[in-house]
Amino acid sequence: MPHQEALTVIARIRPGQVQTVKGILGTIAGHRGRWDIVPFAKLANVHFARFVVFDETADLDGNPIPPQLAMMTNVDAPLDAHLRDLTTTCGDGLDKVFDQCEDYPAPAGRTPAARLAFLRQHHKRARAFYVNRQGRTVQQIVREEQLRRAINEYLDSADLTRHSPEMIRGAIVAFVAGRSDLRWALYPPKPPLTLWRIQQIVNLVVYPLVAIVLLPLLLLLSPVLFLLLRAHERRDIPDTSRAPAEMVRRLRADEDFLMQNQVTAAGLFKPGWFRFLLATAILQLTDYAVRHIYNRGSLSGLSSIHFARWVPLDGRRRLFFSSNYDGSLESYMDDFIDKAAWGLNAIFSSGDGFPRTCFLFCGGIADEKAYKRFLPTRQVQTSVWYSAYPHLTTKNIANNAAIRQGLSGHMSADETRTWLRRFGVGNQLPESGFIARLLDRIRWDRLCHCK
Amino acid sequence: MPLQVEDIQGILLYGYGQLRHACFLLLGITDKEAAQKWLGTLDIRNADFKPDDVHRCLNIAFTATGLKRLGLAEELIGEFSTEFREGVAGTEHRQRILGDTGESSPDRWRWGGSRNPEPHVLLMLYGRDEAALSVLLSEQRLRLTSFGLQLIEQLDTTWLPEDKEHFGFRNGVSQTGIEGVHTRTSPGNTVAAGEFVLGYPNAYGQYTDRPLVNRDQDLQALLPHAPDDQRLHDLGMNGSYLVFRQLSQDVRAFWRFCDEKTRRRDGAPDPEARTRLASKMVGRWPSGTPLVRSPEKDDPAFSRDNDFLYYGSSDAHGLKCPIGAHIRRTNPRDSLEPDPGSDRSIEVGKRHRILRRGRIYGAPIARSMEAADVLAAGDAAGERGLHFLCFNTHIGRQFEFIQHTWINNPGFDGLYEDDDPLIGDRGSGHGKPGGTFTIQADPIRTRVTGLPRFVQVRGAGYFFLPGLRALRFLAAQGK
Repeated sequence: MPHQEALTVIARIRPGQVQTVKGILGTIAGHRGRWDIVPFAKLANVHFARFVVFDETADLDGNPIPPQLAMMTNVDAPLDAHLRDLTTTCGDGLDKVFDQCEDYPAPAGRTPAARLAFLRQHHKRARAFYVNRQGRTVQQIVREEQLRRAINEYLDSADLTRHSPEMIRGAIVAFVAGRSDLRWALYPPKPPLTLWRIQQIVNLVVYPLVAIVLLPLLLLLSPVLFLLLRAHERRDIPDTSRAPAEMVRRLRADEDFLMQNQVTAAGLFKPGWFRFLLATAILQLTDYAVRHIYNRGSLSGLSSIHFARWVPLDGRRRLFFSSNYDGSLESYMDDFIDKAAWGLNAIFSSGDGFPRTCFLFCGGIADEKAYKRFLPTRQVQTSVWYSAYPHLTTKNIANNAAIRQGLSGHMSADETRTWLRRFGVGNQLPESGFIARLLDRIRWDRLCHCK
Repeated sequence: MPLQVEDIQGILLYGYGQLRHACFLLLGITDKEAAQKWLGTLDIRNADFKPDDVHRCLNIAFTATGLKRLGLAEELIGEFSTEFREGVAGTEHRQRILGDTGESSPDRWRWGGSRNPEPHVLLMLYGRDEAALSVLLSEQRLRLTSFGLQLIEQLDTTWLPEDKEHFGFRNGVSQTGIEGVHTRTSPGNTVAAGEFVLGYPNAYGQYTDRPLVNRDQDLQALLPHAPDDQRLHDLGMNGSYLVFRQLSQDVRAFWRFCDEKTRRRDGAPDPEARTRLASKMVGRWPSGTPLVRSPEKDDPAFSRDNDFLYYGSSDAHGLKCPIGAHIRRTNPRDSLEPDPGSDRSIEVGKRHRILRRGRIYGAPIARSMEAADVLAAGDAAGERGLHFLCFNTHIGRQFEFIQHTWINNPGFDGLYEDDDPLIGDRGSGHGKPGGTFTIQADPIRTRVTGLPRFVQVRGAGYFFLPGLRALRFLAAQGK
C-alpha cells in the first residue's frame, strides 16, 4: 500500500484579480460539497483537498506581500501520478482556477505537460506533515467502511447472541467469504512500499545521530540559549486584538456541515535570527515526531486530526498551517488546550502575536481566552474543501481497519472477544509508542509556573 | 474567593426543589422608563436564604435586545459573548450545531423564533403551592401594562409524581455541584464557580470574558469592582448566561418505538424488554438507578445515586451503560480522552458542564407514568415536555459543545451513526443521519435502527441573568 503525501501548490495572483479568483472558487457554505470545477472526487487517490486564497498583506517591516492562491491535497503516493491526474482529468478546472495566477501557461499553451510543469514548479514541500496513520489509502478506507456496514447488517439479521465468540467470528468470516464483493477483506492490506519504509528508517536513525553529534555543543550553549529564550518570551508582544465579528461569522458559516471540518491559519514569523533558528529546529523536530513518535493515531493525546501540514510561505517570512479534523472548531480548540498545548506552543510560539509562552512549552495556548481570541485573527477562509469520506472519524477509520485485520489470522479467546466489541463501538485506539506515552504523561501545566 | 450570595440570584445557585410550582413569563419592553421603574419594584430573590422560610421566588433575565431596550450602550452590549448577542436562532450555523432544523427550526417555533415577537425579559416565578404561585402570578400580570411591558408568552409548568419527566424516568438526579457552594456533591462532580457564575475563576483558572465598565459609565458606583481588574466595574459579576429551550416530548412515539422493537416472535409485547430498551437509551432505570450500579434490573435502592464513574465502575466498554446512552453522553464523567478512567479525564470534562434548572410542562398521558398505560391511552390531547433551563458562563464551550459534540454527534466516542437516542437531532448538524442505537454486549452487540426524533424544539432563547447590583445598574441606564 502506498504512503500518503501532501501537495501544496502556491501561486501569486495577478494584481487586481483576487476577487475574480474568489468568485470562481465561491465558498464552502455555498457549495455544500458540490463544486465541480476541479472534480477531486474523480481522482481515486485524493483524501482531502482545498483551495485557499491568501489575501494581500504586509510583513513586519511593512513590505507588501502579494495575494496568493494555494491548492492543497492529501493523496496516496506516488505524488507524480497525482500531478498527472490533475493535469488531465482536472485540466480544464485548473485552467479556470489558476487563470489569473502569475506563471500559469498562457491560454494557447495549456497542455497537460505545461500544467504539470507549473504544478511542479509551484509545489512547496511541507516542513512537517502529520498523517493520522500512514499507509491507509482512500480505496482502503472507503472499502473497509462498506465492509463494516455489510457485517453490521448481517449481524442485525442473524441472531448470534447466544453463540460463543469463536463461533460468531467464524460466522462473520464465512459471511465475508460468501460475498464476492467483500472477499478481498480476508487478506490483510499490504504494508507501505519497501523504498518508503527504508527512507523512514534512515530518517529515524539519522536525526538522533546528528543530535548526538550536536549534543555537546547544545549543552555548552544551553544556558545562553535558555536566557535568550526567556528574554524573547518576556519581550515579545502578544496580539490581543479581536478578529472582526463579520470575519468570524463568515468562517463559522462554512463549518459543521459534516462530521469533519477544516482549518487554515497563517502568520508571520517573529523577527530576529534566534526565533528563526528556533522555529526551524522545532519544525524539524515536529516532522520527526509525527513520523516516528506520534504515528499511531494520536498526536499528543489528540486523536481527531486526519491530516495536518506546516508550510513556509513567502520565503522565511510566513508559515501556514492547515488541517482536516473531526468535530467542531470549538472542540478542536479545546482539544488543543486540554491535550496538546505544550507541543503546539513550541511550534506556534515562533509566530508573531502568539499568546505569551514561558519556557517554550507552557502558557501560550493554555490561556484559553487568549488562544480563542488569537486563532480567528490568523485564520484564513478556505474557499473550496473536499473530503473523500466526510462521514468517517479517525476512530471509525482505525476501527474499520482493525475489523478487517481480524478477519484473518489466529486469535486468542481474549482477542476474539475484544475484536467482536469493535462492532459495538470503536473507541479503543492502538496504544501509542513508548516515547509518546512518556511525553503524554508529563503534566506540562504543572511543570512551570508562569506569571 | 467566597461567592457573594447576596448579589447572586437564587435560581443560579439553587433549583428551588421545595417550590414545586413555577411559571415563566416572556415579556416585551414597550416603554424604557416605565420598564426601568418596574425593575426597581421587583422583589428579586438572592441566593442568601433558608429554603424552609421561603414561599415564593422571583428571578429575572434579559435577552440582548432586552438590554438594548433598557438603554444599555451598544458598546457595552458588544462586550457580552457572541453567542448571547447573536441569539439562539441568530445564525444558520448555530441552528446546525444545535440541531434546530426541520420541525425544530426557528421559523416554526412558538416563541423566540424568526416569526415571533422578540422576547426581551424572562421572568421566573416560583411558589411553594398552587396558591402562592397564582397570587404571585396575578400580582405580576396585573402590573405589566402600566409598566410598559407586554406579555408575549406565559409558560406554565407542572411537577410529576416521583420527580419524573414525561418519558417516565426520574428527573434531575444528576446535578453539578459548585465549588464552595454545594458541599455534598462528589469531587468529580464539583466544578469551579466561574463555570456558572461570572466574575469567579473558571475551570481553567481564568475569569471568563464578560462586560466590564469604566468608572465614568457607572458614576453612582452601583456595580462591584472587577476582581481581575480593579480599575473597572463589573457588569457581569454574579451573573450568568441562561439557556432556555422548550422541548416537546413525543412520549407516545417513544414508547411505541420501544414496544415495537422488543416484541416477542409471536408479536406479543414484552413489557420487561421494553422498559429495558428504554432504560438502556437513558442510562438509568425509571426509578433513577444508574445502569452501571444495577445493570440487569431496576433497584430502587440506588434511585438517587449520582456518585459513579464509567471506567471507574468497570464499564469501559459500555456493557452496563451503553456508550451512546443519554446520560453517558451528556455527562461522560471519566470516559473520554485524555486517558479515560483517569482524574485528568474528569478534569477535562469539567470544562463542559452546565447547571440545569428545567421544569416539566404539560399533563402526562397517564398519571401512573407507566409505559403500558401510555400505550393503552387513546390519543391524548395537548403537548408535554420540558422547559429546559441551564446556566453557564461560556455558552460555546458548555451548552453548545454538549449539544453538538456529545448529544447530536453520531461519531461520539467511537460510534458511527448513533446520536443521542432520547434527544438527538438525527443528524442535521453533522450531515449524517443518526437514529441508530447500539447496545454494547458480550459476546456481540445488538442495535436498534430507525429511531425517529422524539424531542422537538418549540421555542428558545439565550438570556443574561444579572447579579442584583447589575440589575440596579440596568434600571438606572440613561438617568
